[in-house]
Amino acid sequence: MNLFAQVMAALLGTIGFSIMFSVPREYYPLCGFVGGAGWLIYCLVLPHADAPEATLAAAILVVFLSRLFAVWRRCPVTIFLIPGIIPLVPGGDIYWMAYYIVRDQMELSADKGFEAVKIAVAIVLGIVFVFQVPQKLFRAVIGAAARK
Amino acid sequence: MEHEREIMDVAIEAGHILLENGAEIFRVEETVYRISRHYGIDSGSIFTLSNGLFVTADSVGKEPFAKILHVPVGSAHLDRVAAVNQLSREIEEGKFTVSQARAELERIRNMPGKTYRMQVIGAAMGSAGFAYIYGGSPVDSLAAFIAGAILYIYILFVSRPHLSKMVASITGGAVATIASMILYGLGLGEHLDFIVIGSVVSLIPGVAFTNAIRDITDENYLAGVVRMLDALLVFFCIAMGVGLVYTVIQRLMGGVVL
Repeated sequence: MNLFAQVMAALLGTIGFSIMFSVPREYYPLCGFVGGAGWLIYCLVLPHADAPEATLAAAILVVFLSRLFAVWRRCPVTIFLIPGIIPLVPGGDIYWMAYYIVRDQMELSADKGFEAVKIAVAIVLGIVFVFQVPQKLFRAVIGAAARK
Repeated sequence: MEHEREIMDVAIEAGHILLENGAEIFRVEETVYRISRHYGIDSGSIFTLSNGLFVTADSVGKEPFAKILHVPVGSAHLDRVAAVNQLSREIEEGKFTVSQARAELERIRNMPGKTYRMQVIGAAMGSAGFAYIYGGSPVDSLAAFIAGAILYIYILFVSRPHLSKMVASITGGAVATIASMILYGLGLGEHLDFIVIGSVVSLIPGVAFTNAIRDITDENYLAGVVRMLDALLVFFCIAMGVGLVYTVIQRLMGGVVL
């Protein structure tokens, strides 16, 4: 139940960002789906791994779905990717970093800052690798789905 | 055959709209290249920075053409990116003459953005959602909804028209933190931390960050590094705005609130 609430919150938050970035209205549900699916994977992987690893798994799914939907709806991948990746951005860690700096707890602050960097690198890796997958594969997947 | 200059103007205008509204460098260059090639420009070059376009065309038997364009980066309008993308595809299918394409680009440039009310609701939804997934309770989420809306009203009416990006990010972080503290002080919300984290999310430079990674991956290092610097600077400034308010409160109240 809690997992469901988490995914719904990520989905609605992602749609909020789609509105801010002026995504065309017909793509709101797909953007929300991408963001929600990414967060679902993050939540499922997190108990078995650390945050950067869970982020990497989620980022891979987010980029994969973004590219798939871009081919399906024939529109720029940016539309799904930018809102969809936002739940994974280490906003919380950056906040705690600043918070501990203010409280003069430099060690904790450095921990959080380094964690934020690791998570950002995980997002980078997800984007870099999934964009190497040839476009043909996504066309084939869409083609196979359309034939059914 | 249309004049070369007219063709290049259309191609460059398409690139201009893309770059201004949050497209990757690769898409900008590819679009300019495709449109000009479709209309018969067989040789030329384009070089793109995060805030500038450098284009030349040099077809056999025609006047050489060169243009440098400064493109200040605005806020992202991904609907315009999608529309130009669609237009470029239809141009390649032969559905547009050069003057029709120019008219269509004019229409895309003037596409109405989302209304202020919609944008504020979007920001508030983002804040509420992220306050919850970063660990807050439903009540925290409600408080972040309100604080996020207040922040976005500040962005729309104060920082976007009047302030530079750095000052906008620092003061934006501060405004969101103050709004969260007031709501928390009034008894709305259980964890101040998660309310603040949620309320500032609309400041997150998501477009710059994601595009920076894409550009660097495509080996457009110069544009990518500039965008990454932009994103990191904004992240840093938000954190500074939040930290600033906390420091002041701590000095005034001896850390009671924190």
